Amino acid sequence: MSTATHITQAPATSSAPSAVTAKALKASASARRARSAKIKLWAGAILTLLVFLPIVLANFLPLADPNAQNLGARRLPPLSDGYLFGTDQLGRDLLSRILFGGQTSLMIGVLAVVVSGAIGVILGSIAGFYGRWADVLISRVLEAQMSLPLLMMLLLVVALFGPSIPVITGVIAIAQWPEVARLTRSLVLVEREKPYVDAAKTLGLHKISILIKHVIPNVFKQASLVILLLLAQAVLLESALSFLGAGPQRPFATWGRLISDGQDYITTSWWMVTLPGLVIVALVVGVNLLGDALRDGRPRRKNRKEA
Amino acid sequence: MTASFPGHDMSRRQLLRLAGAAGLFAGIGLSASACAGPTGLPGEDTLTLALNRSLVSLDNKLNQFDAAVTVQRAVREGLTAIGPEITPIPMLAESFVMLSPTRWKATLRKGVTYSDGRPVEIKDVSTALQMYREVQGSFVAGFFPEFPRITALDERSFYLDSKAPIPILDALMALILITPAADNKPEELQTGVGTGPYTVESFNRGAGTYQLLRNETYWGTAPAVQRVNVRFLPEESSRVIALRSGEVDVIDSISPNSMEQLSGLPGVTIETASSLRMNQIFYNFRKPSSHPLSDVRVREALSFAIDGQALVHDVLIDSVEQAQGVTPASLFGHAKTGDFVYDPAKAKSLLKDLGVSDLKLKIIWETGEFPSDTAIMEALVQMFWDIGVRTELQQFEPGGNILQWRQGKEGDWDLLGNGFSSPTGLAITMLQGMYAGTPEKEKTRDTYQGYVNKAVAAKIGLAAAEVDEAKREVYLKDAQQGAWDTWPCAWAFVPKSILARRNRVQTLSLSAANSYPLSHIGLEA
Repeated sequence: MSTATHITQAPATSSAPSAVTAKALKASASARRARSAKIKLWAGAILTLLVFLPIVLANFLPLADPNAQNLGARRLPPLSDGYLFGTDQLGRDLLSRILFGGQTSLMIGVLAVVVSGAIGVILGSIAGFYGRWADVLISRVLEAQMSLPLLMMLLLVVALFGPSIPVITGVIAIAQWPEVARLTRSLVLVEREKPYVDAAKTLGLHKISILIKHVIPNVFKQASLVILLLLAQAVLLESALSFLGAGPQRPFATWGRLISDGQDYITTSWWMVTLPGLVIVALVVGVNLLGDALRDGRPRRKNRKEA
Repeated sequence: MTASFPGHDMSRRQLLRLAGAAGLFAGIGLSASACAGPTGLPGEDTLTLALNRSLVSLDNKLNQFDAAVTVQRAVREGLTAIGPEITPIPMLAESFVMLSPTRWKATLRKGVTYSDGRPVEIKDVSTALQMYREVQGSFVAGFFPEFPRITALDERSFYLDSKAPIPILDALMALILITPAADNKPEELQTGVGTGPYTVESFNRGAGTYQLLRNETYWGTAPAVQRVNVRFLPEESSRVIALRSGEVDVIDSISPNSMEQLSGLPGVTIETASSLRMNQIFYNFRKPSSHPLSDVRVREALSFAIDGQALVHDVLIDSVEQAQGVTPASLFGHAKTGDFVYDPAKAKSLLKDLGVSDLKLKIIWETGEFPSDTAIMEALVQMFWDIGVRTELQQFEPGGNILQWRQGKEGDWDLLGNGFSSPTGLAITMLQGMYAGTPEKEKTRDTYQGYVNKAVAAKIGLAAAEVDEAKREVYLKDAQQGAWDTWPCAWAFVPKSILARRNRVQTLSLSAANSYPLSHIGLEA
């Protein structure tokens, strides 16, 4: 990024003809990355908000009760009879079920990433900062957990403790902490060698104070990007569990269950599978694009500040 | 001066794009050609069945769901079988006649051997009866008022004696599958031979797959199909897709929605038949006497909340009939005892009069217990809510521990979605299995959801022991009315047996027992 900034300034200050044309600059890798990041940012934000906002505002929108059945209006196609997304096999408003089901899925996802993020940042920081036995212990535990097949492990725990929102949230949170911890550990390993840490030590600050007040704030921004990306994974995991019958008990609508129920009608009522599927795709793609854009865009902002 | 950059040569990026596009087209092309025709098609002389439940054994001592009957009877046979007319027909016994109310005489068919060449002997029958009696949690034992004793007359003929009359013994003996005495054990047999038209070539119990091979020494008409593959596909949508693609030849126990999807498709035919099965929303009869559900008036009031006609027409697309008694109308001896009426206002006022308020019901069921099970259960939530009764659903996946729940060993529940078949085609068998519970049986949790009613059990016992058919009919009606008046279920319906087959499968005759003889099937070349 910095290269691009300097090159664009060069023709303006030099009268000598140059092969570096505006067109070439536009086609350069750094300019392409900048454009790509911008597009990702906008596309990600739009897709995420398109799904996220209606879900958050579902209680205030003029929607039918997601569980209110009308057996006489079963499997109505989209845009019919006041049903924007159509109805399901029991005549329930599909849009309402997707939005209220999204609240369940998103609540599980957000809670899970908050918990996994907290566990991951804390344990990763301890492993990276203290090293030695703490590092060995935490690293081996997270490696052991990452070697387990994730979905199988989740299904096993849900089968043991029963499918409920706290159990599923906890299970996803426990499943996701290694990724955050691993990244945080590597970031802290870099940070702890920096002069400000030595300076803090020289000034007599306790190790815990240095870690909490100085090191973690410096790595949190990067770690939080991974946590954001894990949100998409958490929503997908919850949907997968619900799809496999290990989600919260009925009649809670969840995205995975909407798709699971709809698959029996896939050839006669396409919207029952397709529309919830599209919403999941929009959210997951949106969050991933947003995360990518924030990651790609961050160094440029930093360099601009430096300039 | 800097040399200008080349403008028209292909850059590395363009090359990569081109390669990516070529790869994409190649991938789509390959996928499209792969999708153009079904893969894994059965062979010309191989029939492939996809069952909705895992066939854990070819024995029926502990369990016998509908789809299993077709396969179990292709390998093992009984002295009799329930024929297409829902009456007993001779199989290994060439004759089976009642000599007196407590004595039957049977004669084994001459020259019948097991697939390994061993002859069928009388001791095989007596050992089989003993094993069915001794097995823990027997599926069959509940249908027998008592197990008859065997007395051999000669090499092929024997008496079956009982203390009390068993007028339906010919039908009951269809449930006893005959295995060589030396191989039989008081447990569900995993291996072993039978006398049926097929032998087991290989199997994987965990995956529920069986490969059957034609029994070349079968005593009856040799089956036309050389090989039968049995697969377990729990997801109905997967079974429908497998049938559509031609990967499997027959899928059974399909829901009305799948029937709707498959109807009219080229190459696929739907077969329907009446059913010997009753699906119910059954109450838990193990509740303490202080619980509202222990009061028959509360149970009756709750039944007014259920809009049965809406469930039949809208959810089950007229593929079932609302029950008009405690047994299906297709059973011999069925009596109409009443109707389920939808009147939510009456339900509310009755509950109010009975002082029942703030009632919360827990409904449990196993996925796949009956077609469209989850839709029915979710519809019940709304219907009970409309009369001010809150509900909680608990769905068990197949292979879970619903049996422990049903026996009251794991947790409490109020209503159970469950189906019950009469494998003999007789109403008395269903009545004995469901409503003839006694306090002794309840000690071992061998009653049907804790249903123990001395008066009803006595009436059933009277009907079961009556030899005179006219009198038995009267006793049966009385017993069914007695059971109905206790409001054992909130709602019940009788499904149709629905099966879909590829058109290459010929001469498949689906019976009301939701099974069909594999040996009669032929495959179109």
